[in-house]
Amino acid sequence: MQPNDLGINLHAVLPETIISVVAFIIMMVDAISRNIERRIAGALSLLGLIGAGVAAVTLWKHDGETSYSGMIITDHFRLIFAFVFLIVAFLTVLISMRWVKDEELPVGEYFALLLFATTGMLFMSAANDLVMIFLGLEITSISTYVLCGYRRRDLRSNESAVKYFILGSFSTAFLLFGIAFVYGATYQAGATPVATTNLQIIKERIAAGHLFSPEMLLAGAAMMIVGFGFKVATAPFHVWSPDVYEGAPTPVTAFLSTGSKAAAFASFARVFVLTFAATPLIATAAGPLANLQHAWVNALAVMSILTMTIGNLVAIVQSNIKRMLAYSSIAHAGYALVGMVALDWTSVAFYMLSYVVINLGAFAIIEVIARRGDRHTEIADYQGIGFQSLGLATALSLFLLSLAGIPLTAGFVSKLLVFKAAWAAGSQTNNSLLHWVVIVGVINSAISWYYYLRVVVAMFFAEPATGYVKPRVSRSLVAALVLAILGTLYLGVLPGKVLTTLDAANPQNRTAKR
Amino acid sequence: MGEYIVTIVTLLPLVGAIYLAVIGRGENTTENDLKWTALVFSLATFILSLSLAIRFVPGGGSQFQTDVEWITAFKLGIRYHVGVDGLSLWLVLLTTLLVPLALLSSWNSIHKRQREFLISMLALETGMIGVFVSMDLFLFYLYWEVMLVPMYLLIGIWGGERRIYAAIKFVIYTVVGSLLMLAGIIAIYYAHGQATANYTFDIVKITEDIRGGALSLTPATQSLMFWAFGLAFFIKVPLFPFHTWLPDAHVEAPTAGSVLLAGVLLKMGTYGLMRFNLPFFPDAARQWAPFICFLAVIGIIYGALVAMVQPDLKKLVAYSSVSHLGFVVLGIFSFTDKGMQGALYQMLNHGISTGALFVIVGMIYDRRHTRLIAEFGGLANVMPVYSTLFLIVTLSSIALPLLNGFVGEFLVLIGTYTSTVLPQAKLFASLAALGMILSAVYMLWMYQRVIYGKVTNPANLKLADLNLREKVVLAPMILLIFVMGVYPNLFLARSKQAVQDISAPYNPGAVATPRAGVMNETEEK
Repeated sequence: MQPNDLGINLHAVLPETIISVVAFIIMMVDAISRNIERRIAGALSLLGLIGAGVAAVTLWKHDGETSYSGMIITDHFRLIFAFVFLIVAFLTVLISMRWVKDEELPVGEYFALLLFATTGMLFMSAANDLVMIFLGLEITSISTYVLCGYRRRDLRSNESAVKYFILGSFSTAFLLFGIAFVYGATYQAGATPVATTNLQIIKERIAAGHLFSPEMLLAGAAMMIVGFGFKVATAPFHVWSPDVYEGAPTPVTAFLSTGSKAAAFASFARVFVLTFAATPLIATAAGPLANLQHAWVNALAVMSILTMTIGNLVAIVQSNIKRMLAYSSIAHAGYALVGMVALDWTSVAFYMLSYVVINLGAFAIIEVIARRGDRHTEIADYQGIGFQSLGLATALSLFLLSLAGIPLTAGFVSKLLVFKAAWAAGSQTNNSLLHWVVIVGVINSAISWYYYLRVVVAMFFAEPATGYVKPRVSRSLVAALVLAILGTLYLGVLPGKVLTTLDAANPQNRTAKR
Repeated sequence: MGEYIVTIVTLLPLVGAIYLAVIGRGENTTENDLKWTALVFSLATFILSLSLAIRFVPGGGSQFQTDVEWITAFKLGIRYHVGVDGLSLWLVLLTTLLVPLALLSSWNSIHKRQREFLISMLALETGMIGVFVSMDLFLFYLYWEVMLVPMYLLIGIWGGERRIYAAIKFVIYTVVGSLLMLAGIIAIYYAHGQATANYTFDIVKITEDIRGGALSLTPATQSLMFWAFGLAFFIKVPLFPFHTWLPDAHVEAPTAGSVLLAGVLLKMGTYGLMRFNLPFFPDAARQWAPFICFLAVIGIIYGALVAMVQPDLKKLVAYSSVSHLGFVVLGIFSFTDKGMQGALYQMLNHGISTGALFVIVGMIYDRRHTRLIAEFGGLANVMPVYSTLFLIVTLSSIALPLLNGFVGEFLVLIGTYTSTVLPQAKLFASLAALGMILSAVYMLWMYQRVIYGKVTNPANLKLADLNLREKVVLAPMILLIFVMGVYPNLFLARSKQAVQDISAPYNPGAVATPRAGVMNETEEK
């Protein structure tokens, strides 16, 4: 690949193109016809997402191709995460179709922003260059900043948007700073390019030991951990997320807590697992290079322990269900980090896939019960609704138990995978810290049962609260729920097919087997 | 249906539960229809499971196996492997027997959410059977955890005053243990995979490889894994000091829930010890045996002492469980054939006797809505049949010769006393024998206060004696109490080989002929 070769390949960015074009169409129609009908906007979005999904499928056999001067890579890693984002967007659209009308919010911009955010996420997983990751991140972030404050007259929504914006920008600055350091660290006199943000070249230089300064790379990696840590909401960089999640409109919270998180994990894994740790040399090297990997694995291990523990412990005392799920999603970022620590991105991908399906299902129900203006989001509001809205309550129980990790659901298989990966990695590298991560992880899962069950207790065991009226459930929401339930059970009972696909997508596994 | 019989027995109750969930949402389905449907499903399960016992070949290892691939990606090697061996056979039958009886016993005592109650009971049955028949660690863990949900609902929805507290305590205790077990499962799965290049969760294979020496763990690793697994089981048993969830759960659960909780769920703990801890971690088991036996003996005596002062009948029975299960743990960790056979037998005994006790307490509770001993007295005058049956069950619980309890406790004591592997075995056995005396004290004293004397409380004067349904519930249990007390070999012969397989690595010098001994001793009684 030559730097002057632009490598234009429209096919490679087809999914992103489709989604952004649809978003533009929605905006245009909205502008021309003054007010786009919500059903049309929703249907257009769904069609666009399906189209993007098909486009992603056609890219499957182009494994490993790069285009746009090495900015975009088409590999299974990208596509698997792309499917996760498309699922998130698809379910979010279904959840919001009725909601935008009930809230009397402008329809066109909402769906357009949602699609733009999705485009950004797709770019984040497709990026083969730190600059591209940054671009994708910014596209996503700016769209979601607006979405958080979408309920303009609601003070909480405004607070959420401002908080997210300030802290988000702050974390982006860290990420940029880290990127700059990495760029400097890869300086090699006389080589073309002299220094680089291209991940493949970074990988090659690390492998060959051609680094201007490993210490600088270490500093850059540390900065990037902070930046990504903000985005995925890991302790100690998690403090923004409960406020933002609680204040944002519920469908947006659902989107943020699943899509944004998964996208950040995609980039995180791309940079750390597939680049910084991808070469065998670094594991056997002596001196600063070996320290580099050791340092960040251990740092992430400690972060994951902290994240799981803080997320779960603080979730126990929450009385607002959105806030509780915010802390629960912090905890889940911790579990997914366990897979990162094990350098096994496939388990992280599966974790994210399961997590987004379950969490979106849970938020769909919370949205229905919350009603207009998110008025009923206290756990007390759920008292005794179990036998009045049996279907909704049973589904919510399923999602919560799955988040807790009960077998036969996606939540269990995903936890098993990350814990297994970390245990194996701990044994292979003789790093007992990783074993401790697993042990802390299982203890945390036990803790999490308590607060998930609290909701089940409120729904089924407590006396009914007065004034509960059965909510009307729209057809699109039923569709979203059915998809989420089927997904949760499918990934829990018959994960074989998905796992085999993931397994085959991982070049590390492929070489290890032969 | 041949080789699928185990799967059918496991899943039939679940089919019943699903059937109950979907049928007859209309107006003309009465509660009676639902109850009968559930009863028919559970009885059908019991009858099918009887064929397991009849066709079971003693000493034939794991039988009626189904073994198919489930998840192979990621080197997971998860299989759907079920089967029945000498260890699990009688526990499966105990489960399938107790569920219909429990349903019958609470025929008229559930007044709200009848349908959901029956669904929970049947789902629970599937979970319980599944735990016993799983031959794959993943599958085992799956049933072990999923079973929590119906039990949790049973306590939480249909329980007594403090049901929410009890339900949450029950779940959290169990989950803490079982998640540590998950870590243990992952660890042994990985260790086994590394040693044999065969990544699998298959219990039979892992057991074979450990016995054959293909996988040998260092004592330190063994200790860690022993406790990772063990804690889950010790909590479930429950071994002192992990027992505090039990009185709460027992007391708050509805009668049917208590019967299954005491009758089956506690056995999962001791079953797990025999299935995993002893075969997988022999060095650790030997090393920790004195400590565990120490706790078991404390449990025996402490449980008995606390039971003595309980004013509440159900609580008394609950604490007596702590005491009885202490015997089981002691028998297991004596590492002798007799001790383990006794432990296994005692598991069945306790399931039947304590199950019957809970049923009996439930009957009086249905009539008076109180379980306080002080409220009763002189019931022999108004409820003669009830009093007679109560006496038989009481005597069975305190291990009167000719009744089932005696065989189990005697085998445990003799096994422990003669154990050469367990240090201070004689001391442990003697202290445990003290527990037997105490159990006679608290049970007979309780019986005396409830049944004998004059009717002091006028509210008891008009109590009706047992009706036909209640007699039908107790009859099979009473029958079994006698059969198991008189002809234990019927049961012991089928479990003998499985127990010997477990104990053999602990007694390398011993010649494998203790079978005759077991027969003689039990027949002498």
